[in-house]
Amino acid sequence: MKKARLFIALITAKLLVFLIRLLGRGKGTSLPGSIALKIYPGLISDLSSRVRKGVIVVTGTNGKTTTNNMIARILEAGGGRVLINREGANLINGVAAAFAREMNFLNSRAFDYACLEVDEAAFPGVASRVRPCCVVITNFFRDQLDRYGELDRTIALVRNALKEMEGTRLVLNADDPLVAQLGRSTGLQSVFYGVAEHGGVTRQGAAAREAKFCPFCGHELAYRYYQYSQLGSYSCPGCDFSRPDPDVEGTSPRRGGSFTQCRVRFRQGSAVSLEVPVYGMYNLYNALAAYATTLLLDMDPQKAAGFLKGYRPATGRMERFDYRGKPVYLNLVKNPTGFNEGIGALVEMSGADLNVMIAINDNDADGRDISWLWDVDFEILADCQERIREFVCSGYRAEEMALRLKYAGILTSRLVVEGDFNEAVSRVLGGGAGKTCILATYTALWPVERILSGYAKRDHTPAEHLPHVS
Amino acid sequence: MPRGITPRLNICHMYPDLLNLYGDRGNIMAYRMRCLWREIEVAIHQVNIGDSVDFDRMDFIFLGGGSDREQSLMAADLAEKAGALEQAIEGGVPVLAICGGYQLLGKYYKTLTGDIIPGLGILDLYTDGGETRLIGNVAVEVELGGIRQTITGFENHSGRTCLGKLDPLGKVMAGHGNNGRDGMEGARYKNVICSYLHGPLLPKNPFVTDYLIACAVKRKWSIPLKPLDDSIEMSANSVMLKRLLGP
Repeated sequence: MKKARLFIALITAKLLVFLIRLLGRGKGTSLPGSIALKIYPGLISDLSSRVRKGVIVVTGTNGKTTTNNMIARILEAGGGRVLINREGANLINGVAAAFAREMNFLNSRAFDYACLEVDEAAFPGVASRVRPCCVVITNFFRDQLDRYGELDRTIALVRNALKEMEGTRLVLNADDPLVAQLGRSTGLQSVFYGVAEHGGVTRQGAAAREAKFCPFCGHELAYRYYQYSQLGSYSCPGCDFSRPDPDVEGTSPRRGGSFTQCRVRFRQGSAVSLEVPVYGMYNLYNALAAYATTLLLDMDPQKAAGFLKGYRPATGRMERFDYRGKPVYLNLVKNPTGFNEGIGALVEMSGADLNVMIAINDNDADGRDISWLWDVDFEILADCQERIREFVCSGYRAEEMALRLKYAGILTSRLVVEGDFNEAVSRVLGGGAGKTCILATYTALWPVERILSGYAKRDHTPAEHLPHVS
Repeated sequence: MPRGITPRLNICHMYPDLLNLYGDRGNIMAYRMRCLWREIEVAIHQVNIGDSVDFDRMDFIFLGGGSDREQSLMAADLAEKAGALEQAIEGGVPVLAICGGYQLLGKYYKTLTGDIIPGLGILDLYTDGGETRLIGNVAVEVELGGIRQTITGFENHSGRTCLGKLDPLGKVMAGHGNNGRDGMEGARYKNVICSYLHGPLLPKNPFVTDYLIACAVKRKWSIPLKPLDDSIEMSANSVMLKRLLGP
């Protein structure tokens, strides 16, 4: 009976994926999973138990997609067959859809690993079904608070789910106290990764810091330095909680034209040089998370570093387009930390003037509450606004975006409100500046990308990658 | 205003390190910018745990909301300053309290398990914990300083607040408001405005900001506030009202 249900669920899901793609209604990453789970609720646990070597789950606020793709890249290059929920479909339906799409009833397609990026809120449900051998946690920042309540509750959700697990190993960001605490509070075996002090660290904390207080005793944490946001070297004056000594530590990070480089020290006292074709400190963290995970899975350190060099950013995440010989960058934004990183990269962009478009939607997937825009440091843009010809604000909340920029100190003469994506894209491309940068929330990203690809060619040469944030 | 004197207002931002949820710092940004655009100088005093503060010297006090843990840290510190804060409020210092800050000014917060967390007891109101969170966009009809407008914002709270002998800030046109039952949102007492609205409240609703600035200015000088161009603010407001209340 169970087998019959699994069979029907798989056939239905595959048929739906086929139909959805045929009708051009998207990639079929969620609905087929939801129907398949209704037909056979045991689908995920049944299919995930077929994965031979183990399931790896990546969760946290930012960097899930990138980290997960990097892990999959290393494992695949090492000769493993890897199942992945590649499209960023990271709720339970998306995970079900990935299994239903990739596996068949007779189990003739065997996978060595499954790499799953999982939304924090969906983590307990997914993790209890897939029983991961390894859970990677990137960081905790504020994200879509109206859906999860508060950050503390999100972390408690993940922590309680982890406590139920046995034998699962954790890969934790040593530099984020909100993540690192999970090693002790869950009692699970943990591997830590982090970045050592370097010339770019700051002594002062930023405004959008999440955690000031010790998760164990409530004292204010003392920091020696910050990497960004609450990431850094911390210790509690009230108890013995402090930044764990990382098992995998990046040292002397250096930015090249389109890549980031560092030395990686790992426990045995060995070191390798790591180079990833992405940009920004937070992508270095993603790379270190992926590197630490694959070492934990007994990958050869030299080989893993070599495979990581061949990583390419995922489609739809910070892509470079070419419009009449000028670069256009498209970047997903979804929370203050990620938005600040995007702004930082935009300000650093070398060369001439810029046109900027910001598209803000407030559907469920974007977060219905857009208050978080006020936690983003748009004031940095005001300081260099002479370089920016125009800010085109678009999406359902175009007016609110313009309002935010006005109070950041941007002259209203530079602000254009154009709710319609077609009009907005055509306006920003027609702006005549040397470079164009488009920042969009989740549900705005896809329509904007579609419109943009009608005007501009996708540029695959990795010349000057902006950060892709997720 | 006497010639040669630059008016200067002292803004007190309570616990910015702790109470920094939901973009509430936007309230300080809006207050400051709307002063600067009128050539009124502002000095922002950030008060964190353990800092001392002279509330009587302040022209505007802002108290936001935080997550549960940070809120309880803040409450313990503010309890020591309660007397001085009450005196300032009675003396007419303008105050904006949002969400957790609003609840804290009242008598108590009663949790679902029946525990009573005492508030500062400055305002005649109390809050009961609720099983569900009240979340979503809100429209509230408000009358302040003789102007009637429908303000917008976003609420996200599990506490249900009931007012004693206090006026509400306004009448809920869409959303839940104080408790989801009596159709009221927020509270007013002297120059204190309390509200559950994030969004944040002041940038989205400039007439509330101007009311608070005018209250502060009136206590020192007799100058009218220069009107500003609020077309972006008004269009953001009308988009949301159209969505919530229909055309």
